[in-house]
Amino acid sequence: MFGPKVKLQAGLYDRLKQTAAAAGYSTVDEFIIHVLERAAAETECVESEAEVRKRLQGLGYID
Amino acid sequence: MITIVSGLPRSGTSLMMQMLAAGGMRVQADELRPADTHNPRGYYEDRRVKSLDVDNTWVAEADGAALKVVSLLLYELPDDLQYRVLFMRRNLEEVLGSQQKMLATRPEAAPTTDMRLHFERHLERLSDWLPRQKHLEFLEIDYRSVIDDSHAVAVSVASFVEQDLEIDAMASVVDPSLYRQRHG
Repeated sequence: MFGPKVKLQAGLYDRLKQTAAAAGYSTVDEFIIHVLERAAAETECVESEAEVRKRLQGLGYID
Repeated sequence: MITIVSGLPRSGTSLMMQMLAAGGMRVQADELRPADTHNPRGYYEDRRVKSLDVDNTWVAEADGAALKVVSLLLYELPDDLQYRVLFMRRNLEEVLGSQQKMLATRPEAAPTTDMRLHFERHLERLSDWLPRQKHLEFLEIDYRSVIDDSHAVAVSVASFVEQDLEIDAMASVVDPSLYRQRHG
């Protein structure tokens, strides 16, 4: 797979490699992508629920 | 056991509360939010739900009754009580269209953008969260199916809440003429 690349410190990469293997990931790339996807989704969700809260306040459903 | 009626605003939660009340279930509601053009038969809300994230100590009062809780506040229900959640689902375009009409009468409301995306993410998170909660069971109900076959929905709801509700009375409160925001 070709795409943008991200630089990591060698020490961090080794640590992630060990963690990925222990967690059953076949490659460290697969592990990193999964973790980043989850982190992005969580952040997006927090932002979205803040917007939902504003909407519900506007409609009079939340104080 | 508390029956919770939940969903996004304008997804049919007031209609489901009406059905439960007609069927003979006690509803936990006050008269503080009067009926209006958006909900001509009333909102069936308990004012205290609006600040559930600040104070949820009163929720046990709704034991044996139906309580309407907007989707975002489901997270705030005390987890030492047991609930059956009737979760209303409705086409998001219809929900957004109907909300827009309400907002037009509330100029004080802060503008919000990309609501479809935000609601989708919110519902996705809830779909992940709900099945993992030990303090609640849930049943999803499609708003359109309530309009199209209210009797069948009433039967499923009565079975889910395990109460001997009056099915014909529940079905009879559904007025398709109030289904004004149709999409597709």
